Amino acid sequence: MIKFLAAYRPLIDLFLLQSGYALSQYIVLRAGVFSIASAGLAAIGAYVAALLTMRLGLSPILSIPIGAVAGLASALLISWPLARLRGVYQAIATLAFVQIVLSLNLYAEAVTGGAMGLNGIPSLVGTWTLLPVLIGVGYVVTAVNANKLGRAFEAMRQDEAVAASLGVSVTLNQSIAFGLSGAIAGLYGGLEAFHSYALEPNQFGFAFVVATLSYVVFGGRRSVLGPIIGTAVLVALPELARPLAENRTLAYGVLLMLVINFMPRGIVDSLLEYVHRRRMARP
Amino acid sequence: MTTLVLDHVTKRFGGLVATNDVSLAIPPARITGVIGPNGAGKTTIVNLITGMLPLTAGAIRLGGRDLTHAAAHEVGRAGIARTFQNIRLLREASVADNIMVGFHRHEAVSVTASLFGLPSARRETARIRVRTQALLERFGMQRFADHPAGALAYGHQRRVEMMRALATEPDILILDEPVAGMNDVEARELGDIFEDLARSGMGIMLIEHNMRFVMRLCANIFVLDGGRLIAEGPPDAIAADPAVITAYLGI
Repeated sequence: MIKFLAAYRPLIDLFLLQSGYALSQYIVLRAGVFSIASAGLAAIGAYVAALLTMRLGLSPILSIPIGAVAGLASALLISWPLARLRGVYQAIATLAFVQIVLSLNLYAEAVTGGAMGLNGIPSLVGTWTLLPVLIGVGYVVTAVNANKLGRAFEAMRQDEAVAASLGVSVTLNQSIAFGLSGAIAGLYGGLEAFHSYALEPNQFGFAFVVATLSYVVFGGRRSVLGPIIGTAVLVALPELARPLAENRTLAYGVLLMLVINFMPRGIVDSLLEYVHRRRMARP
Repeated sequence: MTTLVLDHVTKRFGGLVATNDVSLAIPPARITGVIGPNGAGKTTIVNLITGMLPLTAGAIRLGGRDLTHAAAHEVGRAGIARTFQNIRLLREASVADNIMVGFHRHEAVSVTASLFGLPSARRETARIRVRTQALLERFGMQRFADHPAGALAYGHQRRVEMMRALATEPDILILDEPVAGMNDVEARELGDIFEDLARSGMGIMLIEHNMRFVMRLCANIFVLDGGRLIAEGPPDAIAADPAVITAYLGI
């Protein structure tokens, strides 16, 4: 067990980090907001946290939470114009936001290091920080699902008019979901900054958007376990498919297409639904 | 005790007048019928009341409160609940979950408590679950509690919608063709429930095609045709009104 942990430590850390991003993506989709802004919000959190420590000497114990707050604040700020958009228009607008953050990081070279990024960030975050944080964030997301907010989110996701007719303010609740997503993305941006020595703008680009979206689509959009399992499988897959050498990405693509076609709700939700149906069928 | 009042309400879609200078009142503790042939503008009126469509002219008030320009969720919060003519359930969610959303208006728990799953949020959820159970029993639907709502039979789906609307504990309940496609026995069962609700003080606006059903339940009836009000009165008077007979039989 210890040997396994030692050998696969980088992979486990990657899973713990990516799961956080997956939950940030999950929570907006859960509320019926088709936002892919998590990449930009994570970049904001990462740069804020790293710069506060590197330039101002702030302890990461402070700068990482401040990064999360920066993510939250940015999310709330863009949730205001976003509230007028729906569906694919939200996706396009948030993709534009991701591009804007990326460009700003490239152009503000004096502050962010431009394309060279930031190097020599103290590496202080390891598995034993990432694991409890993921458990904590997982708890919050689970609590949201089980209470008033989760019920409102579920209603909005399935039918906005019905939600409104029951007194659910769609604008308010979408902002809450978006803010929560921003806080989680910002938090994990900060954790990643202090985990991997270096930051560069393109690590929060289009590839990030595609990866986090696939975790949720692959795993499932309803249960909290969906994005976590989705991340686990998709992070482990390139390792498992190592014998395929350069065809590894092909295996990734094929698996994703199979799941989207035959389990459009994602593996976890499809499985839970199957079990539930079996249980209901029994008298 | 709050009365819903429509005061000279008009709605135009471009050149088409869907609702023309309609004034009506839905008093508490009574079932008020709104009838009319297809295309008379009944559902448009419901959409105007519930803030899903903006009015062109006129005013809508609930008790002392002006709801003319209120957004859909504000109308819901003010105490007006509705069912939809073409049933709109959260099809993927269970029957119980569909009803639990209805209590949203009465949930006082803070965002923070809900976010961190604090005891206050959990207690509230538990309370709502108990009240959901009571509603399920009232409509004889306990055994369907965990079924996905979208998989139920048509009549049962209508009941789920009604339970969800009732969960908001509204002052005014708008039922848009609640017994469409049901047989007389089922309709009678629901009619009894509506009478019970009215006795408890709720104002009910009943939009329905089933004339026998309307005549039996309603204290007062408004008749619409071509977007305008053509008659108002108790069931006997309406049945004998020549304008109503013309509108319905096209003579």
